[in-house]
Amino acid sequence: MICLDPRVKLYLLLEANLLLFFHVNTVTEVIIVVLFLLPFFLSGKTKSALRFTIIYMLLLIIGMMTDSAGTNTLLNFVAMAAVGIRMILPCLIAGAYAFSTTTPSELFCALRKCHIPEGIIITCAVVIRFFPTVMEDYRQIRDGMAMRNIYIGMFHPLQSLEYVIIPLLMNGSTVARDLSVAALTKGIGLSGRHTSMVQIKMQIYDWIYMIISTIPLIMFKGGFL
Amino acid sequence: MNIISSKNISFSYMNSEQASLKEITIGIEEGECIVLCGRSGSGKTTFSRLLNGLCPMFFTGKLSGECDTSGLQAGNATIEEYVLYVGSVFQNPKTQYFNTDTTAELAFPCENCGFPSDEIKKRVNECVQRFQLDGLMNRNIFKLSGGEKQRVAFAASTMLDPKILVLDEPTSNLDASAISKLRRMILEMKQSGKTIIIAEHRLAWLNDIADRYVLFESGEIKQEWSAKEFLQFSQSELYEVGLRATRLDILKEIIENKLNSQAVSGNVLLKASNLVIGYDKKTEVYKLNTFCLYNGTVVGLVGHNGVGKSTLAKTLCGLIKPLSGSIQWKGQMVKGKQLTDHAFLVMQDVNYQLFSDSVRDEALLGNSNHEQCNQVLKMLGLSEVSERHPMSLSGGQKQRVAIASAILSNKELIVLDEPTSGLDHYHMTQVGNLLQMLKKQGKCVLVITHDEELTAQWCDYIIRLDGGNYGTGY
Repeated sequence: MICLDPRVKLYLLLEANLLLFFHVNTVTEVIIVVLFLLPFFLSGKTKSALRFTIIYMLLLIIGMMTDSAGTNTLLNFVAMAAVGIRMILPCLIAGAYAFSTTTPSELFCALRKCHIPEGIIITCAVVIRFFPTVMEDYRQIRDGMAMRNIYIGMFHPLQSLEYVIIPLLMNGSTVARDLSVAALTKGIGLSGRHTSMVQIKMQIYDWIYMIISTIPLIMFKGGFL
Repeated sequence: MNIISSKNISFSYMNSEQASLKEITIGIEEGECIVLCGRSGSGKTTFSRLLNGLCPMFFTGKLSGECDTSGLQAGNATIEEYVLYVGSVFQNPKTQYFNTDTTAELAFPCENCGFPSDEIKKRVNECVQRFQLDGLMNRNIFKLSGGEKQRVAFAASTMLDPKILVLDEPTSNLDASAISKLRRMILEMKQSGKTIIIAEHRLAWLNDIADRYVLFESGEIKQEWSAKEFLQFSQSELYEVGLRATRLDILKEIIENKLNSQAVSGNVLLKASNLVIGYDKKTEVYKLNTFCLYNGTVVGLVGHNGVGKSTLAKTLCGLIKPLSGSIQWKGQMVKGKQLTDHAFLVMQDVNYQLFSDSVRDEALLGNSNHEQCNQVLKMLGLSEVSERHPMSLSGGQKQRVAIASAILSNKELIVLDEPTSGLDHYHMTQVGNLLQMLKKQGKCVLVITHDEELTAQWCDYIIRLDGGNYGTGY
């Protein structure tokens, strides 16, 4: 199992966005997607890497087959959807790779090493901590609603929303207060540099991988691809 | 040498006219273990917040008098200054973790202080060794039981080696075996010379730990006893001052008898045969023996944290389907989800099941019988607050609002999940009386609980989900 430095993963994510920004051609895109998928497979997350590979290949094939769609409206629509989804897929792959193979602690350490202000790191930590909490709360609220024979349905979208949102917010504010209290007594507000127990270090292959993954983009901009 | 000394401390929270603490004067010696006891709202928690700097810095308000904690003056020192001297553990295991995994949580205080990585690793290892937490490291906190969470939270509070530990109702959600594990950790810290302050309702586990008991009543220190004096009180003397039992052996005997008693009269409401319950076959499943529930009874459902009590409650309320086995309702076979029409679950955290903007609307949600509604609200003592927003009520009142909607739903099986966690003796008795009232109405009441006092005094019979003896004793 080989794992890249979290900073390289963030760099790949940035590059995926550049891909969209520069509107690269298909060849460049394919090369870079392969470069994204390679460490994904090597990180041990074979299943989700494989899933992305298959989806990407399918979209690629659909795109090529519908290339000469002519005036057929339906075919044109399918082609458009396939290309559209394919274009955002590199971002999803890089994102899924970055966040499914990095623990929060590694991520915070990487951000600290990049000299990101502590305030932003704490915000990230809160978001990561809050998501599962909200999901847990949501499940409980749905159970509570079922007890009153209220079901989340299509017929009263606003009403169901109200029944979910109100308890969610009410609880959210107490959870936020309790979490702040717990974090404050553990010194989250201390001024001065915060450190990380987890240590990360850029290895030589991290640098090499960063350079390799950039080459296709440069070649495209230079008109070689 | 007093490590904590407070002189004539009074405190009232912002936006509150009533003083939460009045003229508190107390000295606590280094290495002492003090138990703060008394009813809910008597000022225990507020006093503990003065010791770790949360009052008046986070929970703002008006403070007068002097409170010195290891040289830090409440009101002058910031919360950050307290971090190195005072470790804190709070009541709710769910909201004590800032990180999503256990190891990171232990490292967190050290990281905030800027310790180098090697030093943090060393401290984490020492801590794991000291408290035997090996099995709990590198775990996702969302997959831990309440007891496990609370143990790691306690361990995290000791990471910076503070002289003082302040614990605010640390056991209110825990079962007997989880409490005894936490107890061992606290004892270990006491032996290493820490000063420990525990605000707590459940007193039995504190025998042999506590040196002194301080009784709070409406913001004042009513009385103080040494451990020796305190442990000589009889049960009824404790109840007189609103405190819970210090000895559980008598209660355990009663519980044991109720476990073995089979003599239950009444109509069989529900019969569950060979149930296998769980969320799906991949994760943990629980196999249950056949059992029956009867009209007009209060049934206690006991067992360790994580043994499947809540899963069973959800199954009986039709929120999840049993994986196999059958459930009969009044002799008729019912499919899993049909049970939602017959059973009502009052959750441990009732905030998740209050949806309307007034108590009356809440009670009428799903039942438009105004007359019955008025009756039920009156019976539960909610008439005066019927126009208020449910979220503006106290915890006990909210619970009663949920029970009101349970009654008005006209369902015959009412399941309560941990209705007395974190309650003092007075409020526990109130819940017990509510259970009796539901019983008189012919409902079947199933109570999931760790509370020995509630089970022994108010349940007709008891279903235990794990084999072996009830509890292991403290």
